[in-house]
Amino acid sequence: MTEEKAKGNADLPEKGTTVLMLGNPNVGKSALFNRMTGANAIVSNYPGTTVDFTSGTFIEGGHTYTIIDVPGTYSLEPRDAAEEVAVRMLRDSPDATVMIVLDATKTDRGLYVALEVMERGMPCIVAVNMMDAAHEKKITVDIAELQRILGVPVVSTTATSGEGVRDLAEMLRKAKVADIGAIAQRLRGEEQERESVRGCGGCGGC
Amino acid sequence: MLIKLSDLPFGERAVVREIRTSAHDLNCMGLRIGKELKMVTKQPIKGPVVVLLGELEIAMGLETAELIVVETGTDA
Amino acid sequence: MVFSSDARWEMVDAITRQTVTYGTYKHTLGDVLGDLTVKPLTGIPVAFAALYAFWSVFTSFAGTLMTDGFMVKFFDGFWLPWMQSVWPDPASWHYFLFVGNPAADTCFEAFGMLTSGLFVSIGVVLPAVLVFYLMMTLLEDSGYLPRLAVLMDSVLHRIGLHGYAIVPIILGLGCNVPAVTATRILETKKQRFIMMTLLALFIPCGAQLGIMMSVLPDLVGIVMLCLIVGFCIFGFVLNKVIPGENPEILVDVPRYHWPVKEYVAKKLWNRTKGFLKEAVPFVLFGILVVNLLYLGGVIQGLANLLEPVFVTWFGVPKETVGPLIAAFLRKDLAIAQLSTIPMTTYQMVASVVLVTIYFPCVATFVVMLREGWKELIAAIVVLFVVVFIYGGIIHGIGILLGVA
Repeated sequence: MTEEKAKGNADLPEKGTTVLMLGNPNVGKSALFNRMTGANAIVSNYPGTTVDFTSGTFIEGGHTYTIIDVPGTYSLEPRDAAEEVAVRMLRDSPDATVMIVLDATKTDRGLYVALEVMERGMPCIVAVNMMDAAHEKKITVDIAELQRILGVPVVSTTATSGEGVRDLAEMLRKAKVADIGAIAQRLRGEEQERESVRGCGGCGGC
Repeated sequence: MLIKLSDLPFGERAVVREIRTSAHDLNCMGLRIGKELKMVTKQPIKGPVVVLLGELEIAMGLETAELIVVETGTDA
Repeated sequence: MVFSSDARWEMVDAITRQTVTYGTYKHTLGDVLGDLTVKPLTGIPVAFAALYAFWSVFTSFAGTLMTDGFMVKFFDGFWLPWMQSVWPDPASWHYFLFVGNPAADTCFEAFGMLTSGLFVSIGVVLPAVLVFYLMMTLLEDSGYLPRLAVLMDSVLHRIGLHGYAIVPIILGLGCNVPAVTATRILETKKQRFIMMTLLALFIPCGAQLGIMMSVLPDLVGIVMLCLIVGFCIFGFVLNKVIPGENPEILVDVPRYHWPVKEYVAKKLWNRTKGFLKEAVPFVLFGILVVNLLYLGGVIQGLANLLEPVFVTWFGVPKETVGPLIAAFLRKDLAIAQLSTIPMTTYQMVASVVLVTIYFPCVATFVVMLREGWKELIAAIVVLFVVVFIYGGIIHGIGILLGVA
């Protein structure tokens, strides 16, 4: 790991990128977090509160990421102390990349907070987790279409089995700021940039 | 027919028409106007009410359920 | 660009319409179980069965197997005699502080920091805490916890809390330290204050339960009954007296899923580590402080001062005053000490209940202080009042029943 880091990234700053992992409670965020960071997680207390959060680091493609498991929240208008901390974490790290985790069986609820984050203009990537449960319930989520509409990378994952976690880590560097206006336009069917999306295969990250 | 959610019988379906309390929290849990729900259970001695909204199952206090108006007999 | 909440929901709907399709699927066993365990008619018996099963595991694993079967033998058979033989000068103050009574045969009686202190924290509390943490983790990871919360809400909402207060309650039966932290699951200051106060008062921690079970196994049931009744009465009163909001429960009821072994293990380890780091040093420190107070004659002075109150108001023999005072800092050992004093059944129950509802241990104090000093002071005032009233009530009932 360290070797890879040394040769891959001589010119990049060492401190790495902060990734805030954000989503509703019970979407398998912690499981995903554990999959990505392995054993080196640290539990800390958020200053001035009683809320604990977990953070850890991992290296992907020669780049170091510090990933923070933000307390689960339904919206950025907080209801309790844990949600309050989620909002403060977003505010305190304006340069961070936000990894929005959705439950594939409950996409609508997760998308609300996802849109709120996107409105803040932070670079985002979306993980649609719990694909196994969705499959069992015969729910299908069109990942490519979701990516086209949102204009940020969308990866499907099953944290419990580890499926898709590798892709998610690789796609992190392609996280980008969503254009909320463009999302609204695409939803209305005014798809001015359709050509360019088709041209590059629609990965949304390049 | 418009009734209070708290009066919806077990196993019956209805469509949410009006939320007379702070709607934000309920919206965040997936209960929104126009959504269809199904009554799962009401707990005894004025305990909470459990409803099913599509794939979501949520529990709310009885007083909250009394402030939600639903329409029965629609096949939405 | 920022949208209104409604506009955002419209966008969410538009996105899901275009990307998510729902097929028809057969209800799985998990769905059926999910329904059965949240409906009161079937769910309440299941909840009782689950809690009872847990209680059996707790008593047999933590109590009988670990504590009695292994820890007691180890500490009384090897550790204590060894400490007594190698520590120099039995008459010295440091012997008293660290090893305790040179004539003691068990770690319950020795009362030294390195004898009783280690025995209580490692031998009695750790197995109990482990079982409670394991239970909590399984409840959380399987998805049963929210259902239990919904079932408990009918009762808990009446006393100013809501269903999720079951989390600090269960944790509190292991150790009050993580339980106080877990009160953040409740939304308002009022709810958290009520929960913290009730935790400190009526929820015996793993140490107390463990010791109660090993020194007076026949009375655990009646002591618990006194505590549950007190919990409900004073919860109800506090809910009426304390200003503030008591919002209703509004929670997601997720589906069941099998807990993943490695995450359960990881969570269990993190929680246990937290306990070892935060609570154990305080247990040791507490013993040290009590021993220092004994050495300085402070405990004796307090005991003489408060003796009339205890004897006339609570109806307990005057020998119990010493342990009851010591219980300010360390309830668990106080119970062990009480068990060696000859008393009637009533006196035993009354004094054990008193010890339990008394002040929490030093560690709990510290975490409560972390939550806010104003709340801590208010909690102390409530503690005084409740101990006084409830002790009197129990005495009164005892007189009516003709046993006091």
